[in-house]
Amino acid sequence: MILNLEDELLDLLSNLDVKSFIMASSAHEETDLDVAFVEGSVSTEEGLERLKDIRKRSKILIAIGDCAVWGCVQAMRNQEMSMKERMRKVYDKEENFYDVLEPKGLSAYVDVDLEIPGCPIDKIEFLNAVLSLLHGDLPEVKDYPVCVECKLNEYQCLLVEKGMPCLGPIIVAGCNALCPGLGVDCIGCRGPIRDETNAAEELNVLKEKGYDEKYIKNRLKFFGANFGEIAKLSKMLEKKQPGKGGK
Amino acid sequence: MKYVKLPKENLDAFVENLKTHGKVYGPVKIGEYYSFQEINNSKEMSLEYSRTMIPPKKFFLKLKERLFTFNEEKGEYKETLEEEKIVVFGIHPCDINALKLMDKIYIDETPDKYYKMRRENAVIVGYGCHPDEYCFCHSLGTNYAADGFDLFLHELKDGFFVRVGSDKGNAIVSEISELIKDVEGSDIEEFRAAERKREKEYTLELNIRGITDMLALAYESEVWKEYADKCFGCGSCNLVCPTCRCYDVVDNVNLNLKSGERLRRLDSCMLRKHGLVAGGLNFRPTRIERLRNRFNCKGSLREDTLNCVGCGRCTVYCPSQIDYVEVLKKVRGEL
Ligand code: SF4
Ligand code: SF4
Ligand code: SF4
Ligand code: SF4
Repeated sequence: MILNLEDELLDLLSNLDVKSFIMASSAHEETDLDVAFVEGSVSTEEGLERLKDIRKRSKILIAIGDCAVWGCVQAMRNQEMSMKERMRKVYDKEENFYDVLEPKGLSAYVDVDLEIPGCPIDKIEFLNAVLSLLHGDLPEVKDYPVCVECKLNEYQCLLVEKGMPCLGPIIVAGCNALCPGLGVDCIGCRGPIRDETNAAEELNVLKEKGYDEKYIKNRLKFFGANFGEIAKLSKMLEKKQPGKGGK
Repeated sequence: MKYVKLPKENLDAFVENLKTHGKVYGPVKIGEYYSFQEINNSKEMSLEYSRTMIPPKKFFLKLKERLFTFNEEKGEYKETLEEEKIVVFGIHPCDINALKLMDKIYIDETPDKYYKMRRENAVIVGYGCHPDEYCFCHSLGTNYAADGFDLFLHELKDGFFVRVGSDKGNAIVSEISELIKDVEGSDIEEFRAAERKREKEYTLELNIRGITDMLALAYESEVWKEYADKCFGCGSCNLVCPTCRCYDVVDNVNLNLKSGERLRRLDSCMLRKHGLVAGGLNFRPTRIERLRNRFNCKGSLREDTLNCVGCGRCTVYCPSQIDYVEVLKKVRGEL
């Protein structure tokens, strides 16, 4: 997504002194950094060590993308089975060959100064964050639900008017309500809102609209499995219907 | 006030005339909801609409807009708003009364030049309505627009009973003298009977007497927690409200780091950052406090009326079906 900023990329790079950007250039320097943008979830011991090292070397650490913020889809089965069980299911062996950890976002392990959510991120949101930092301002943090952007665009509410299982009320805005604007209910690719999202009520509302618990649980966990309240709901539902978590 | 009659068959010719006063907007059905959109003729409108999701406030306090561009190097800023003449056709009485409340704030008390300019450039054509189960405007006395419009149309069997509410309205009426007639005794009787009938159509009541005291006394009430547990903090209730006036601004800088733009968008006190001030203090950190604030803002007195016109939008568009009237009945202890 960053490389897709075709029109802005050269000007942007001329303002920056890039020490490492493996996706764009093989030049790579392990040095102290003003700002580190880190993507990807922490899912191995090796990755965790690398993250801790980057944290030590950086004044500002910014998590970009849902993987780095919440752990994303690879975290979907968290709370449902142990790592051992997962290894057994996939490799038919219980040993943890690759030192795999339950997938989590960066903030589960280190201090994160800013999170730019999304799967994928919105390149303009990224650009504005970088420009704000270069300008000496705090980047704008959107910490309100997608519904706000539906209203600001005057998009019809798919949940209220059509009974569609929209996750917009619990998902952080910033996509400009892209999906609802196209008549598609939000599946939550930008993840929940830290310390704010009311996931229990989303479960209630969707149940009232006739969706079954397992469907809702999977929907909530698709991008938000590591969000505290969703994790709690997942455990609770798992107790009610053990074994029904898998495919 | 002056009263005239517009025969039904002349409605389109009337709309044609309105086009000479600016772009004409009217209530249009899109999917399952209504929205004020630009129209070419009366057939594009759904004049029997219940309510638009976004109130006509959007023409004056825009949902989102760019206010100006700036250049720090040159130390200058350039306003980017354009003057545009518009006609908003078909506004219901509650929304006209809501605009009057907005005028008090953004024209009289803390003038907002963008708002004021747009109001001056607009012709307001009101349209009579029938309540549905969410309307409680009659409890607030906002179910009738006594003023605040240029023209107001009430439907009759064969035409419209037109109230002329301003000099602007009068000027329009004199331009279309060949399209209108004098009102006759039978028209007046029909109008009066329709108004009597309409008064009886309301099913939802909200007792607002002493509501400001009731809210103050319910400060510690359990009611806020009960509904805060259901609330998403999604802001929809404020963003669809015709009397909510809060906005937020954000600056975006360009790649040269010297120039940029200032944007503004409607805000909502149900959002976490509404109560955030410099230094990181938030004076309404929880949804309980935010919900209570919203109801107190709506229920505080502005001269003789509340900050609510009873349009029902906040209940209809709440994804969690939090019922505004029900909350206030609990505040009073009626439920
Ligand atoms: S469509 Fe979804 S995101 Fe948009 S307002 Fe409705 S619930 Fe919120
Ligand atoms: S508070 Fe609700 S009912 Fe009252 S004016 Fe606002 S949206 Fe309408
Ligand atoms: S404080 Fe809340 S209720 Fe009052 S005008 Fe602002 S958004 Fe509306
Ligand atoms: S619309 Fe409903 S859920 Fe959203 S903030 Fe308002 S009361 Fe809460």
